Amino acid sequence: MRRWLTFHRDLGLQLLAFYLFLIIPFLVTLLIFDRLVGERIRGDVEANDIALARAIALETDIAIDTSLKTVEELSSYTSVVNVDEEKMGELFSIVLGTRPDVNLVYRLDADGVMLYHYPVGPSSTVGTDFSFRSYYQNALTSNIPLISEGRISPTTNQAVATAVMPIRSSSGKFLGLVGTNIKLESLSSTLSAIVSEHEADEGFEVLILDASGQVIAHPDSAFLLKPANEIMPDVYTQALAGRSGSIVETDLNNEERLYTYASIPSVDWGVIISRPTANAFATRLILQRITQVAMATFILIGLAFWGILSWRVINPIEKLALISEAIGLNQELEQRQRTLIEKMSHRGDQIGNLIRSILRMENSIGERMKEHATLLETSTAVVSSLDLSVVLDRILELVGRLMNVQRIAIIALDQGHGEFRIRASRGLSQGFTEQLSIQPNEPSSVSMRALRVREPIQVSDTEEDPSYKPQRARSRAEGYRAVLAVPLNTQHAPPTCLLVFHTTPHEFTNNEIQLLSSFANQATMAIENAILFERSDARLQEQTRRLEALVQSMEDGLILSDLKGVIIYANRRVAEFSKLSNEDMANIQVERVISRILSHSIEDIARDEETKNILEGSKHKSEIALMVAGRPLHLRFETFDVTDAKDMPIGRGIILHDITADRDLDRMKSNLISTVSHELRTPLAAIKGYASTLLAEDVEWDSKSQREFLSIISNETDRLTSLVNNLLDLSRIEAGSLKLSLEKCNIEETILRGARQWRLESGNSFEVQIEADLPSLYADVPRLETIIRNLIENSVKYAGEQAFIQVKVNRQNDAIVFRVMDDGPGIPPEKSERIFERFYRLDDSLARVTSGAGLGLAICQGLVRAHKGEIWVEPINVGACIAFTIPLNLYTAGGGPS
Amino acid sequence: MNDPVVLIVDDEKSLRDFVRRNLEARHYKALTASNGLEAMAIFNNEKVDLVILDLMMPHLDGLETTRRIRETSKTPIIILTALGEEADKVQAFDMGADDYLTKPFGVGELMGRIKAVLRRARWLEPSSNEEQLVRGDIRVDMERHLVMVKDSPVELTPTEFNLLVYLLKHAGRVLSHRVILQNVWGLEYGNEAEYLRVYIGRLRQKIEADALNPRHLFTEHGMGYRFEG
Repeated sequence: MRRWLTFHRDLGLQLLAFYLFLIIPFLVTLLIFDRLVGERIRGDVEANDIALARAIALETDIAIDTSLKTVEELSSYTSVVNVDEEKMGELFSIVLGTRPDVNLVYRLDADGVMLYHYPVGPSSTVGTDFSFRSYYQNALTSNIPLISEGRISPTTNQAVATAVMPIRSSSGKFLGLVGTNIKLESLSSTLSAIVSEHEADEGFEVLILDASGQVIAHPDSAFLLKPANEIMPDVYTQALAGRSGSIVETDLNNEERLYTYASIPSVDWGVIISRPTANAFATRLILQRITQVAMATFILIGLAFWGILSWRVINPIEKLALISEAIGLNQELEQRQRTLIEKMSHRGDQIGNLIRSILRMENSIGERMKEHATLLETSTAVVSSLDLSVVLDRILELVGRLMNVQRIAIIALDQGHGEFRIRASRGLSQGFTEQLSIQPNEPSSVSMRALRVREPIQVSDTEEDPSYKPQRARSRAEGYRAVLAVPLNTQHAPPTCLLVFHTTPHEFTNNEIQLLSSFANQATMAIENAILFERSDARLQEQTRRLEALVQSMEDGLILSDLKGVIIYANRRVAEFSKLSNEDMANIQVERVISRILSHSIEDIARDEETKNILEGSKHKSEIALMVAGRPLHLRFETFDVTDAKDMPIGRGIILHDITADRDLDRMKSNLISTVSHELRTPLAAIKGYASTLLAEDVEWDSKSQREFLSIISNETDRLTSLVNNLLDLSRIEAGSLKLSLEKCNIEETILRGARQWRLESGNSFEVQIEADLPSLYADVPRLETIIRNLIENSVKYAGEQAFIQVKVNRQNDAIVFRVMDDGPGIPPEKSERIFERFYRLDDSLARVTSGAGLGLAICQGLVRAHKGEIWVEPINVGACIAFTIPLNLYTAGGGPS
Repeated sequence: MNDPVVLIVDDEKSLRDFVRRNLEARHYKALTASNGLEAMAIFNNEKVDLVILDLMMPHLDGLETTRRIRETSKTPIIILTALGEEADKVQAFDMGADDYLTKPFGVGELMGRIKAVLRRARWLEPSSNEEQLVRGDIRVDMERHLVMVKDSPVELTPTEFNLLVYLLKHAGRVLSHRVILQNVWGLEYGNEAEYLRVYIGRLRQKIEADALNPRHLFTEHGMGYRFEG
């Protein structure tokens, strides 16, 4: 797959493949042709050689056949049969005369002894026994002519083969034989003639072998009678076995030869023709060489073509790809590659053109990028501030740098005056900037025109441009010749225009105008941001101040921390609880503050663990009792997550609820319950006690005691009833639903009744002093009685059994003042205010010293106030004095019965 | 035996009289005081066998009076109060009170408690039949009413002493609340499990090395207590 991809991506490989696609069929055809023609040539050569071998075989066969016929014929002559030497001589000479290939004709007797031979010659072998010869042995059992293998004839001393014919009598008795020696040289001469037709350097060889594998005929007589295996590989066996064909073999000299063989069937001899294959197939080899050369040439041409293509086309294209990639990634090319590409760009062909155009493109992209970068940089610089004057200053500075100009102005609508004035400028005279004012509808002003059409407008030469004529005085005074006005597309800011001046005539290029326009967009944004910020900042500050005041004046503590637990904000109360200043708390861990607050705990708590508990868990609530600055303080800690608009946590908040007041109220409520419980149980105890006393069976009481007990029970029941009424009054006072029924009041009687209701102790002395001639007092008499009773009760309780209790009544302005005094320990001045609070008792440390005192005074206060009077503790030298007033005008003012 | 002398302290005259009249009718000698200071004065001058003390009184309240009496004497104290809260009882027992009556109460109840408390107090009279009681590192000298834990003396109130002796005598057995109450406080008792809780707690404070992990006084939940030497 990867290879496939590589192939698809590599133009060189594709071209190579295309080239191979073209030449491979051609090469294959060439190879097939070469093979076919080669075969054909080989076939021709072999057929040729076989034909020749067969021809030689045929000719030899005929020669042998003739010899055999000759001896057969001779054997039928009587002179031969009867061994008539004279006649045989004649006969044999005729034979020799007609057969130049025969060099000896002879007659052996039945025992194989030479009887006669012709020519007689110098070395006669007559009388020699030749019975050892194989042909003699063969002839003994044969009736037909035979041919022997090649041998050296002792008679003629020549290499010969012998054709013999056994001679038999008519009765078939073997009488000997007649034979002719055929000169092998004569056979060889034929071969010599054939060989001589070929060039000597062809290495053409031809030979005949006899049945025993000896060379029988050879152009070179030196080879005669040599065993075939000494001069050639074993290719002759086939021929001697009667077959013909051809075979390629290496000879004994390691030369590859084509051997062609044919047999001479009548005598089992063979003809062998051989020649070096180099010669035999010369044409074919030449053809092969041509094929090889052609293939090599194609491959070389292909490689050369591919190489050139790579070098001249593909490589440059790859380099181009690198540049374009580098341009795309905005990277710098290596210097080496840069030089290479530079060199290639000098080429005159299409590649050169392409490289040059890409290089041009690179340059132009680079410039554009640089421009953008400058613009971005300047824009960033402009929008980096939210202060309007800073923003305007930067705009001027950056326009100067961007456009390379010294004189720049920003003109904006002065909404107060309804005309355009210079808002900020650079390089312009003070007079010009201060005095310039343009009416919004001025037709010839460049800036007004630009603002109207919302397009940049330029005057390239103020002296030449006819539209500028009305303004010319201005340009001359200030000394500029060209001006470009670019409107800022403002929405929240007043209409604004950016002006650029040149002191010489100057045609602003499209590029310059475009650049300034782009910049103007950024500048607009910056100005708008600054203005919006100015507005929102003021509002935000106001809001923050309000929130700050709100949070600071909270009675609860508030701590905000970031996610790492570092304090971001803590209000005044936290500072009070922890006794840390706001500076101390800035940027410290919230644990430290909590731990510090907990250090004021009055309980023995594990601070670290408690701190952890408070900080953990978004819903965690825990209450801690502290003593801060000598005052008890109950705090309830509530921890919550602070999340952003997407509900992601951005910090933690802890609220320290000051629940001291709640706790005090709780304490007072439980005090009320125990007080009421005590108040109710005290008379109940007496009732139950005396009732059970009466019921007890182990003691008999006299009737006087019984009456006494029953009257006590009755009194205590009354006390209980009045107590319940008191409680009801108290709850009515609390609920604000107390209804007074005013009636004319006999003061002394009321006081005495009150005193009587509270049975004074035996040791107490009691005195009532009433000022003479008091006006009539209208009051709710039973309630007034209750007030007096409660106050007397209080005095008795605190001053003891021996106390002297006094009640004084006199008129003071429009009210009657009642004073209840005793000679007891008195009321400490610092507590004189609080004793009227419900359930408050003088001695906190012995909270239950007295029964119901707190309730009594609270009821008194409620009833006095219901009469629109006042109650207070009056300082006296000895003992306590509680005074209260009942207004005299109640009857008329209070809306009672008139 | 002489008639027992009972000091009645209450700021409510009617209640004071009620108790006095009943005691006198049953041959007790009754003394009365209307507050703690008066009570202390009488207590220091007279031989008193039992103090009946209201908790809420002016000048010197019942708790403080109890504390002061306990500084010098083991005379039994019965507390009277209108408050029936557990915390008040515990506080009273802590100060050394022996019993507790919540108002209102009947004559029978009052007399039962008085008799029981006096009986317990009599057990504390020196006895010669047993001298020493030793369980583990706790040694009790019955004759001298002395308790030693690891050879250091421990101060116990009469009821604490009686409770400890009872537990020591029955060491190793699980004792039910009722059994302990009837044997230590008297037959009139049996349901006042909170008394036991308070006293066992105080005993642990005094005799255990670590009151939160007791090694002698074990709580058998839902059943009672068990002492191991």
